[in-house]
This record gives sequence, C-alpha cells and structure tokens, in this order.
Amino acid sequence: MTADLITQDAPTSVEMPVPMWRQRLKIFTQNKLAIASVLYLLIVTLFCFLWPHLHPTNQTNQNLAINNPINQSPNSQFWLGTDSSGFDILGRIAYGGEYSLTLGFLAGIVTIVVGTLYGMISGFLGGVVDTVMMRVLDAFLSIPYLFLLITLVTLFARTASLLILTIGLTGWWGTARIIRADAMLIRNLEYSQASVTMGASKWHIIRRHVFPNSISNIVTVATFSVADAILFLSTLGFLGLGLQAPQTDWGTMLQNGAELIPNGYWWEVYPLAAIFILVVVAINYIGDALRDAFEVRLLER
Amino acid sequence: MLAYIVRRLLQSVVVLFMVILFSFALPYFQPEGIYTPAYSVLGTHATHANVLAWGAQYGLNHPFFVRLWNYIIALLHGNFGFSYKQGQSVYSIIATNVPRTVWLALSALLLTLVIAVPLGMLQAQRRNSVFDYAGTGIAFVLYAVPSFLLAFLLIQVFAFGLLHLPSQAPTALAPWAMFTDPVAFILPVATLTLLGVAGISRFMRGAVLDVMVQDYVRTAKAKGCSARRTLWKHTFRNALGPIITLLGLAIPGLFGGALIIEDVFNYPGLGYQAYNGALNGDLPLVIGITLLVAIFTVLGNLAADLALGIVNPRIRLERSGK
Repeated sequence: MTADLITQDAPTSVEMPVPMWRQRLKIFTQNKLAIASVLYLLIVTLFCFLWPHLHPTNQTNQNLAINNPINQSPNSQFWLGTDSSGFDILGRIAYGGEYSLTLGFLAGIVTIVVGTLYGMISGFLGGVVDTVMMRVLDAFLSIPYLFLLITLVTLFARTASLLILTIGLTGWWGTARIIRADAMLIRNLEYSQASVTMGASKWHIIRRHVFPNSISNIVTVATFSVADAILFLSTLGFLGLGLQAPQTDWGTMLQNGAELIPNGYWWEVYPLAAIFILVVVAINYIGDALRDAFEVRLLER
Repeated sequence: MLAYIVRRLLQSVVVLFMVILFSFALPYFQPEGIYTPAYSVLGTHATHANVLAWGAQYGLNHPFFVRLWNYIIALLHGNFGFSYKQGQSVYSIIATNVPRTVWLALSALLLTLVIAVPLGMLQAQRRNSVFDYAGTGIAFVLYAVPSFLLAFLLIQVFAFGLLHLPSQAPTALAPWAMFTDPVAFILPVATLTLLGVAGISRFMRGAVLDVMVQDYVRTAKAKGCSARRTLWKHTFRNALGPIITLLGLAIPGLFGGALIIEDVFNYPGLGYQAYNGALNGDLPLVIGITLLVAIFTVLGNLAADLALGIVNPRIRLERSGK
C-alpha cells in the first residue's frame, strides 16, 4: 500500500534532478524503522487479502456461525478463538481488515485529491477567490468533525462506498490549508515569477512549478490522511455506525471485543488491538520518515 | 488594534453564517427531504397528513430562505429552536449540558498543556537521546489508539485491576456533580489528556526544533546568552506561536473527543446529546450544538490571534500598521 505511494512519485523524479531524488530515497531507506513499517504494512495487507483464500472460514452467514461454539478461547481449530457470534476471529481479522484498509486507503486518497485541488486553487489564485475559499474552510474547520461525520453517516446509508465518500469528503480541510500555504509560497518564488514574466499561463505554472514542488508535502499529508481515515472509520465502528453486518471492519470488531474485556475474553480484543495500533503507528511513521527525507533543511544539519 | 479586532469579529460573523447555511442546507439532501425525521418521531406508519402537520409545527413548510431568516432572527434572541424528540427547547438542553462538557474538556486541555509543552521542549532539547525516542514512541502509539479503545483499556487496568477507580463518570444531572465526585472524573479526564498529549507534545517538539535552528537563536548563543535564557526568552516564546494557533483550532476536536469519552463513561454532555440527536434525526439539536461549538471555535481562534499578538510583538506591530 505504502509501496504504491512511493512508486507513484517515480514519474516526477524524471523532472527533478536525479541525485536529489536519490539522496532522498537514500535517507528514507536508511531509516530502519521506516523500512520495518513498510514491511509490516505489506505483511498485514497480504495477510488480510490472502488468508481468507488460504484458510477459508465462514464470515458472512450468521446461521452457520452460530453452529460454532461462541466466545471460545484459542484452540487448534480456531487459532484465535471465536467471537460472541461464533465467527472465527483470525479469519474475521483478515475479513474486517480488507474493509478497514481498503476504505481507509481510498478515503485518504479522496481527502488528498480534494484537499490538494482546493488548496492549490485557493493559494494560487489568491485575492478575493482565496478570501472566500478560506472563509468557507474556516466554517468547515469550526464544525466538530465527528459531529459532521456522525450526522452524515446517519442521514445517508452506510455502504462501503458511501463511507469512503463521507470520510474522504469531510477530511480534507487540514490538507487544503497545508497545500494552500505551499502554493502561495511557491507562486511567489523567483522561478515562478520568472515564468510569469516569460508569459506562462496559470495552468502551466501550477503544473510545472507549484505541483511538482509541493509533491513532497502532498505525499506526506496523504500518508497521514490514510492513518486518520482508518482511525475515524474505527471510531464510527465504535459508535455502531460502521459497516453493517455481516460486513465488518476493525472498529466494529474492537468495539465488540472491548465490551467483553471484563469477561476475560482477551482474544477478542487484544490481538486485533495490537495489529490495528501497529498499522496506524506504521503508516504515521512512514509519513514522518517521508517528511524527514523530503526536508531539505535536515540535509544541512 | 481595535480596527483589527473589529475586522476579525466581522470575519467571525461571516464564518458563523456559513456554518448555519451549511447545517441548514444539509438536511435537504436526505433521502426523503427535511421531513425524513418525521418518521422517527411519529413512527413509520405516519400518514402523509400527520407528517405535514408535524412539519408545520416546526415551520418546515416554509421555503428554505424563510426558514433560514426565521432561524437567524430567533438565534439573535437566544432561541436555538425546539428539539424534535425531547419535548424541550434546544437552549435548555444545551444549558444543562454545557457546563458538564466544558468542565471535562477544559480540565483535560489544561492538563494536556501542563504535560505536553514541557515534554515537547525537553524532547527537542535532548534530541535523539533515549528520552526523546521514548517520548516519541509513546506519543506515536497513543496517537494510533482509537480513543474508545484507550478508554476501555484504562477502565480495565485502573477500574477493574489496580486502583478500583470508578469506571463511570457521575451520572447525576446537576452540573456541580463534578465538584462533589472528583474521583469519578479521573479516568475520563486521563483518557482525553493522554490523547491530547500525544498530539501536542509532538507538535511542540517540532515547533521548538524549528525555532532552534533560526538565526536569532544562534545570535543569542553567540552573544553569550546563557542556555536557560536562550531557551526561555528566545526559543520558547517563538515556539509558542504555532501552539497557540493550534489550540484555537483544536476546540472542535476537543468536543468531538469528548463525544467518545462521554459515550464510554456514560456521562451525559454535549457530545452525548449530539450523538443521540444525530441517531434519532433530531436535527435542531444537532444543529444547535454544532453552532455552539462553532461559536466557541470562532471565539477561541480570535483569542488565539490576540494572544499571538501578546507573545509576538512583530505581529502586533504588523496589525497596528495596517
């Protein structure tokens, strides 16, 4: 997943001086923890998508699941036990993970696309357009994000695609601000001004100067957006507003498991909690490592 | 300075107007329009005439702009509308719940600052030391734990395990319950504080690191300024700027976080009301609470802006110059 993020940059590296790009990639790969995070995410993703095929378990039919003993501790048949509906937990972690990771990733992408477009247009055009767009953003920023998310999710249906859109279309305020600041900065730099003098169109400057030069921020923010989207999805799951049964996601599973902690059914929450927290830590760490790699000032330090 | 405050206040009014416009327009996009909540209030078998009569009670039969106008006029009189579900005015619901949530959120925020600001500074000062790595590691993990999970884990450890702290916040409706039963607030406030520290200590560390490489800090060192004085007079004061701005922006998040905590600890407050309002289609309540938080946020941002002027004389000069 994150490997995609890195390879996505590859085309732009053609436009950048190669040594600079190499240098940055080198900084990233020298960061052992960052590499470990990438590996961990790869393993979890592969597990989620392949395990159900290697070891098929019933994860959708409630009736069949009831035939399994419920709340069973880990044993040779159910490696991580069964949950309160009789579903095999190891299989369910993979099944829920498919949804959580896919939804989080796609919502993060929606966030970054909308946020980048909004921020770039606002920051680049400046003037009245910028003022109006920023006041609108201020209004969005003063609405509690969770209230909005809950209201939207209850007003509309809770299918996977709608959840992606809801989380994605409401998560971009912060992104837009960051990208706007970038766009304003780059627009006023000498090389952009030089282009203007030479009669370059606005679109040309955005495409050739503003976008390539803010790509580092865009990639970094995109990484954080994915982590945030996964977290918000889990919060919705906790509030009972995640995917509807028989579909499930990690948040819904964590909520069901957490309620049973007092009963001593540790296998229903702790293994998944560990996987989940590490996934978010890994994504955030990759984001941090990317930022360090892109940060030119740090090169001098 | 006065001109600046007036200009900012006018901006705030525009922002609030947009919040109203947005939250007023949103319900029109429901599958069955603004009358959708009627079915959750009257039951799914309500007749068309019932629904229309119900809507007329709330003025839903008026066109959008008339409703908007009426709402704003009522708002100027302190009237937030009438709840669809609870049989009382939104204002009275808010008035009961505001002190409870504000108490929870404010005490967590203060504790967060007291812990996170020095922590971030120390980490930046001892960059790449074991202390720094430990702090960063803990912050990373805390930042990745969903708030409800952290609350459950804390309950498991400190309520059922070690200290036998109460696992529920006081449920008495009186706002002064928070003073009569402070022990019950330990876990909810601790959860919110831990989550806040995770974010703000990292931000503070970054802000201090950014300032530490500035020329004026080097100059201060070069002219023989003691390490302590450099830290407090030059680094700290300049690193405070971003934190102040962040605090103003953090207000909506604080209420959102309180929503989860209120739900886990069974503590009726604004977040709890907003959540149940959203679930029941009680839109006047949700809009009222959202608007209130937006007002808090706008005021918070304004306060942050003014505080920024106090901390940083350059900004003060810039403003009075214009």
